Formats: sequence, C-alpha cells, structure tokens
Amino acid sequence: MEKTYNAFSLFLCYSKITIKSWFQYKVDACMRSLAVFFREATGVIVIYLTMLTFDEINGWNTNELLLLFSFVYVTYGILIVFFTGLRDFEFLVNTGQFDRFLLRPRGALFQVIASNSDWFAAIGHGALGICLFIFSANNVQIVWNFWNIIYCISSIIGGVFIQAAIFLVVASLSFFFIKTGSIRELLYWNTRKFANYPISIFPKFVKIFMTYIIPFAFVNYFPATYLLDKDSGEFLGKTFCYITPVIGIVMFGAAYLFWNYSLKRYKSTGN
Amino acid sequence: MKNIKEKIIEVKNLKKNFKISKRMNGLPGHIANLFKPKYEVKEAVKGIDFEIYEGECVGFIGANGAGKSTTIKMLSGILYPDSGCINVMGFEPHKDRKKYVANIGVVFGQKSQLSWDLPVIDSFELLKNIYKIPSDVYKKNLDEFMELLDMSNFINQPVRQLSLGQRMRADIAASLLHSPKLVFFDEPTIGLDVVAKEKIREFVRYMNKEKKVTFIFTTHDMQDIAKTCERIIIIDKGSKMYDGSVKELVDKYGGSVKLAIEIKDVLVDEEYIKLLKQSLENQFIDCEFTIEDKKNNIVEIMFENKTLSSVQVTTFLAEKFTLKDFRISDIDIEEIVRKIYEGGITL
Ligand SMILES: Nc1ncnc2c1ncn2[C@@H]1O[C@H](COP(=O)(O)OP(=O)(O)OP(=O)(O)O)[C@@H](O)[C@H]1O
Ligand SMILES: [Mg+2]
Repeated sequence: MEKTYNAFSLFLCYSKITIKSWFQYKVDACMRSLAVFFREATGVIVIYLTMLTFDEINGWNTNELLLLFSFVYVTYGILIVFFTGLRDFEFLVNTGQFDRFLLRPRGALFQVIASNSDWFAAIGHGALGICLFIFSANNVQIVWNFWNIIYCISSIIGGVFIQAAIFLVVASLSFFFIKTGSIRELLYWNTRKFANYPISIFPKFVKIFMTYIIPFAFVNYFPATYLLDKDSGEFLGKTFCYITPVIGIVMFGAAYLFWNYSLKRYKSTGN
Repeated sequence: MKNIKEKIIEVKNLKKNFKISKRMNGLPGHIANLFKPKYEVKEAVKGIDFEIYEGECVGFIGANGAGKSTTIKMLSGILYPDSGCINVMGFEPHKDRKKYVANIGVVFGQKSQLSWDLPVIDSFELLKNIYKIPSDVYKKNLDEFMELLDMSNFINQPVRQLSLGQRMRADIAASLLHSPKLVFFDEPTIGLDVVAKEKIREFVRYMNKEKKVTFIFTTHDMQDIAKTCERIIIIDKGSKMYDGSVKELVDKYGGSVKLAIEIKDVLVDEEYIKLLKQSLENQFIDCEFTIEDKKNNIVEIMFENKTLSSVQVTTFLAEKFTLKDFRISDIDIEEIVRKIYEGGITL
C-alpha cells in the first residue's frame, strides 16, 4: 500500500516536471498540439474522401470506418501520456538518461515510464480521436447503455496496453540491436497502417498477423465490430470482441518479463 | 592504518567485453548484416583487481579508452560484468541494484542528471522524492552544498542558462543530496577552467576529510589527483598498471631528473640517439637512461639522480658532444603518468 502510494507520488512529481518543462515553451507546445491534430486529421480526411467513392468496403461504410480510426487515435493519445518513455527509449539510452535511472533506487522501467510524457502531442491525437468517435458514434447510432460504456473504457485501456507492450518489446530489443528504428517501424507503425482498415478485407496471412502475432486487431477492429454488432469473420469472433483487456494485460506482462531478461545485456554508451 | 579501516570495495578479476557490430555497406552488405552479423570484440576491461578502504580518495586514471568509465559503470551497477566479482559494502551492484544505489553517488562529467529546462532546485526536489530523503537531512545537505559549492546565485536558474562550471557544481550537489558514503566521480572537471576546478577539488577534499566520504575520482588532469588523492590506480588498455600511493610513485620515479639538450652542428637521428645512450651507459655503469628524440635537434634524457648528479652528466655530455644549450628540470606526477602511458616507464 505504502509502496503504491510512493510510486504514485513520484509519478506525480515526474509529471509535474515534464509539464513544467513543456510549459517553458508555451507557444511551441500549443503549436505542437495543433500541428499534430491537423497532420493526423489530414490523413484521415484523405482516406475518408477516397472511401466516399466506394460507398462501402466489405460491408463497412465510411462512418463505421471512422469508428475504427477513433479507437486508434484515442488509445494512442493515452498511450503517449503514459508510455512516451518507451516509445523514445533509444533517445533515453543515447543521452545517458537511462544510465541515470539505473543509478537511482527505483524501478528502471517505472522511471522510464514516469519520466516522460508527450502531453501536447497526446492532446492532438486524443482530441482527434474523440472528435472522430463522437462524430461516427452519432452517425452509426450506437445505443449507449451502462455496459457499452464500461466495454468501451476497458477496451480502450486494453488497447493502450497492447501498444505499450509492443513498444516495451521494441525497447527491450534495443539491448540486442543498436538501431531499433526499423524494427519499430515494422512492428508498430506498419501494423498500425493496416489497422486503419477492417482486417476482413485483407488476405488471410495479414489477418493472422494482425490477430495472433501483432494483435493490433484487438485495439480497434474487434471492439468496433462489437459496438457495431458486426460479424468479425473470425471463428472465435464473439469471444475475441471481449478479450481486448486480457490481451493487453497478458502482452504487457510478457513484455515485462522479456524486458527484465534483456536488461542484463544493457551496454550503456561510450562517449 | 589500512587494516583498521573497513574494506568498502573489493573487485576480483573483473572483465567486460563489448561486441561491436561491423556493418557492411551496400545491398549485399545489408543482407549479410541481417543474417550473419559480424562482430568485433573489444576487451574494455581485462581482469582487474583492487580493494578500496573506507575514507580513501582514490584517483583512477588512464588514457582515453583505457576502461575507466566501463569499470565505474560496473561498480555502480549500470553494467553487468562478463566475469569476476564485485563486492561493494556487501552488495553485488548489478544484482542488488535498487538497494545498493541508495548508498552511492555518481557524477558523469559528460552527462548531466539535471532537467535541462528547469531551475536547478526543481531537479533537487525531484531527487528528494526519488531517494526519499528526510526533509531535515535534505535541508541540511542543501544548505551546506549551497555554501561549499557557491550555488546560491544560480539555484533558481534553468539549467540551460548555466555555465559549464555552474552546471557541474549543481550536478555534484545533486549526486550527494542523499548523503552517500561512497561517491564515483567520472571526469567532473572536464572542460572547466582553473578556478572552477579548484572549487571542485576543495569540495572533494572537504567531503573526504571532514565527512569521511570515500571517493573514486577519474580525471585526465593530474593536478586534480595531486591535490585530492593519496592513492592512484592507473589502468591501461583494460589492465591495472599501478596501484599505490601518489607519494610513492613520485618518490620512485619523480626522483628522476629530466635533462633537455640541444645539439649543435650534427643532425640528430636514430643512430645518434643510440650512440648517445651507449656512451652514457659506458661512462656511468649501472645507471639507466631514458632518451627521447624531441625533434629540432633537442634530446631529452631522463635518469635517476640518487647516485648520479646532473652536473656529472652535463659535464660529460658537454665534453663529448656539441651542445648548444641545456635545461634541467624535475619530474612531476603529470610527467610520470605521461611517460607511463607512452611506455617510457615500465612499472
Ligand atoms: N557502450 C559501449 N559499447 C561499445 N564499446 C564501448 C562502450 N563503452 C565503452 N566502449 C569501449 O570500451 C573501451 C573503454 O571505454 P571507457 O569509456 O571505459 O574508457 P575510459 O577509460 O573511460 O576513456 P575516457 O578517458 O576517454 O573516458 C573503449 O575502447 C570504448 O570504445
Ligand atoms: Mg570515460
């Protein structure tokens, strides 16, 4: 109990520092939020306009597609409030900050997570996600009830942990390889691009990849099919709709074990 | 003296290799990198042993790439050693990391631990929280360091606005706020001017003598060593070369005299140096001479002056060779260490 309290108070202390640092450059920070928002929104709009000419793909209309997007953006917004340190882990290593974490009597992973938040980008991504969610949820007329709301929240949290686990694995891989940029590109960003579309439109191996290997489908596809009451096309489809939080926690736990194992190989940097 | 003090660090046969991947270029190279990465093994630390006792201030020196920082990183629990054992205050650093590091302080002169954009004091407050430093201890230490390191006029300034000397002092204070008993300093004087260096040396002396803090001090500035440390460990290419008191080193090798002569009329070459050495050794039997060609017809001759006076040598040289000029000087620790690095002195 006391341990949790301690960790929490340190987390707040770190957050205060990151926010304070960011606010040294107020204008820059706000510009960053706006820039992120518009950059990402442009991407969405381009896809939206392309889709308009199709009417629907594989049974998904444009509004339903936007719901898929909204999950990606909302979860990513939350993700970079809590897990920016993992996303930018290579930077922490190169600047020697990670050495410093190891010199302090607190968990190394805890410090990586607590010491860094990309608040303003998070506002950009999060705001876009919420806009998309409200817009599409309105248009597809989801009937809201207590269980739906709980379902959404838990799926979002699960989705955040799935992505955090991917980042944690990539961060751990940096103990084995020097440059992890291309690994991250492959494991995260490319997978995420596929997740912009319902996986049912893809060939089988992509479906398998997105469901069982890098299970990004649990971040948005399965929750969206549940909310829209669609057939996910998976033989375990109905169950898959409910297990996003479980997948998230299990993946993060496994990634944590891998991290602990890899940490022994940490090489620091020369000068 | 030593045996009443407690051993604080014990290192046995410590080794660390780094695998450095050799990348090949071009498409075939990339494919080869992927499937059969080539490694070059760099032996950074090749089996060193030493012991350090409570209250010592030990200078840890060696040329660039000798393995000092690597050793310090292993001692402080950042790196896992490949083999050998480390025992610091009963801990095995990399294994009991979280408990262990609460007892040590580390400064890496090249890398600050302060938040770049925030006032120094904010970083200190964060450290208070991280180390769970009791408020009274924190306040006492802070007040003391403010005075000793003269920090009062920049403590509220963002770190990015500080001079290097100010930043270094703030970094030093930061790493000592939790009252560690053992402190590792890795080049804390790098890039500082003489005044700033002096302040840091004074601080180390004070903390060492008055507060009984044990220091391990890495530096390339021999003045740092001469003014703070009683003992030095010299490492070279990952192995220990010398371990003993500074005084002994200076007594043993500093008893030498350096005689620089300038030769007239003849061109100094290898043959000439050989001839010079031969005739000196024939004349003064049982004496050792180290001779070095300093270019521009200047030759440096080093010899011990316990049995041999510089007058004797100079007179002999003046008779046998065509001297234009000569200069005699003592050898200081800087010189000794330089000679050791260059292989001029074998320990
Ligand atoms: N993280 C690393 N990865 C690969 N090689 C490394 C790493 N750190 C150090 N080395 C290599 O190990 C050797 C020892 O380096 P180290 O930093 O310990 O030297 P040093 O004595 O501190 O030198 P300096 O006086 O320049 O600081 C060097 O050859 C260096 O290139
Ligand atoms: Mg170094």
